[in-house]
Amino acid sequence: MDKKTVTTIAYLSRIALDEGNEDKITTDLENIIKFVDQLDNANVDGIEPLTNPLEKKAQTREDKVTAENRKDTFLDRAPKSNEDYFLVPRVVE
Amino acid sequence: MSIQYKSIKNLTSMLQNKEISHKELINETFTLIESKMDLNAFITLNKDAAIEKATLLDSKKNDSSLAGIPIAQKDLFCTKDLRTTCGSNMLSSFIPPYSATVISNLENAGCISVGKTNMDEFAMGSSNETSFYGNVENPWGKNLVPGGSSGGSASAVSSGIVPAATGTDTGGSIRQPASLCGITGLKPTYGRISRWGMIAFASSLDQAGPMARTAEDCAILLNEMCSHDIKDTTSLNEHIPDFTKDIEQPIKGMKIGIVKEFDLSKLDSEVVKIFEESKKHYESLGAEFIEISLPNISLSVPTYYVVAPAECSSNLSRFDGVKFGKRCDDPKNLEDLYIRTRSEGFGDEVKRRILIGSYVLSAGFYDAYYKKAQQVRRLIKNDFDEAFLKVDVLMSPTTRGPAFEAGSKGSDPIQMYLEDLFTIPANLAGLPALSIPNGFVDNKPIGLQLIGNFLEESKLLQFAHNFQKTTDYHLKTPSGENI
Repeated sequence: MDKKTVTTIAYLSRIALDEGNEDKITTDLENIIKFVDQLDNANVDGIEPLTNPLEKKAQTREDKVTAENRKDTFLDRAPKSNEDYFLVPRVVE
Repeated sequence: MSIQYKSIKNLTSMLQNKEISHKELINETFTLIESKMDLNAFITLNKDAAIEKATLLDSKKNDSSLAGIPIAQKDLFCTKDLRTTCGSNMLSSFIPPYSATVISNLENAGCISVGKTNMDEFAMGSSNETSFYGNVENPWGKNLVPGGSSGGSASAVSSGIVPAATGTDTGGSIRQPASLCGITGLKPTYGRISRWGMIAFASSLDQAGPMARTAEDCAILLNEMCSHDIKDTTSLNEHIPDFTKDIEQPIKGMKIGIVKEFDLSKLDSEVVKIFEESKKHYESLGAEFIEISLPNISLSVPTYYVVAPAECSSNLSRFDGVKFGKRCDDPKNLEDLYIRTRSEGFGDEVKRRILIGSYVLSAGFYDAYYKKAQQVRRLIKNDFDEAFLKVDVLMSPTTRGPAFEAGSKGSDPIQMYLEDLFTIPANLAGLPALSIPNGFVDNKPIGLQLIGNFLEESKLLQFAHNFQKTTDYHLKTPSGENI
C-alpha cells in the first residue's frame, strides 16, 4: 500500500482525499491491511466461501406491480429534478 | 407519578389502569427528552405526530400489545416523512417516502416513535464519535462514550427517557452499547427481522434488534419486530414463536460453553472477576459449564474488516448526489458531482472503510482478501456448528472493559476495531446473541454476552431472564437509585 495505490482506490471510490491528509490515510490503510493479513494464517484449502450465513437461495417473488406510482414524491425529494427526470450536469454536448 | 426508568410492562399496566393517559405519557416523555438534551441522544424528534397518535389512543380503545408505548428509533431506519440521517451529513435533509418494515411492525403494534436516535455515521463506529451530529454522552459519566453504533438508543434507554429503542448490529452495535450503558440488547438471528428500509452497511451481517431495560421487554418487542417480508430476499420464512412464552422456565441442567480461545488474561482483573461471579451465579441456577474450542475465532476481527468494508463500499456507492440525499453545489460535470458530493457528504471513518472495501475487491486482490475472508468465515461458522452440538449457549464478556472516555482510543482505527472482539463472531455466523448487565467497574456498568444457536432467541432470553430474576444489576440507574 503506497500513496499511488491509495490515489487509485480513492478515484475508484469517487472520493477525493484531503490534501495534507494523504500520508495519514495511507498509513491507516497500510496498518489495516497488515492487520487483516493475519488471514494468511488460516488453511482454507478446499473451503467454499461463505457469502451469507443463511446459505439459502435468495427468495424471488412474482414480477408484478405492487406499489402505487409515486413518481412525483420521489422527484420532489431529489436534490435536482424537473417534472419527469432527475437532473445531472450535461454529459453530451 | 414519574415514568422515568419504567419498563414496557410497567407502562402498559399504568395505561390500562388509567393511572396515566396516553397523552400524559407522551408529554412526560418529551419533558424527559428536553431535560436531557445534553446527552445528545436524539438527532430528530417526532413530537407533533407522537402527541397526535397518543391523543387518538386516548379517544379510541386499542388492544395492540404495545399500545401507547414510547419508543426511540435508531436513525438508520427509514421513517415515512420523518428525517432519516443515518448519522451522516450525506442524508442531513433526507425525508424517506416510506417506513422500514420493522418500524411499520412496531407502529402497527401501537408503539409511538418519539424520535430518531444519534448513531455512528452509517453505523461505522464503536463509540458514537463518528456521528456528524456530535458525540453522545453515556448517562453513567461525563465525557464517557455510550458505545456504538447504536449509542443514542442505548443512552436514551439507560437514562430512563424511554423504556425501549431499536438498534442495529453489524459487528456488535447493539450489544456493545448495551454493555457500556447498563441495559439489555439483543441481536437476533440474521434474517429474523426484515432489513427492508434499513439503510444498508454490510448486508450479509446487518440485523435489527431490541434494546430495553430487561430481557422480558426485549422479548415483548421481538414478538412485534419479527416478520417474514417478501421485500427482503434474506428475510427468514420460519415459525416466529412467542418469545415471552418460555422465559420463566428454569435453566437447571442446561449447558453453557466457555470459549477457550477468548483470552481473558489480557482483560482488566475487575472485568474477569465480574465474569467469574456471573459463572458462579449461573451455576447456582443449575447450569453446567463446558469448555469449548472455536479454533478459528481469533480470525474474526480480521475477517470482519474485509467482509464489512467490501459490502459497505458496494452499498454506499448509491450515494451519488442524484436521486436523494446531499448534492454538492455547482458541479462542473458528472464526475465532479459524484466526487465532491461523496467527499463532502461522508466523514473520515466512512471514507476509510469505503477505501478498504474498494481495495480488497479490486482486481488482483479479490482472491487474497475477499474470497479468503469468506472462506475463513465458513471455518468460523463450522466451529460454532460443532459447539452447539454440545452446549445450549456460549458465554463471554460483551466488551473488553466498561465505557471509556471520548477521544481516549487515539487516532489508530485498529484500537477501536478491537472493541468488538467478542461480538463480531456472532455476526459472521449469523447467530443470535444478547448482552445483559452483570456488574460494575468503577461505577460503570459492564455486560455479559450470551450467544445462541440459529433461531434460538427464546433460549437466550430464558437464560437472560433467569439471571435478571435473581440479580439487580439491570435495576441500577445512573442517578443512583434502584428501580
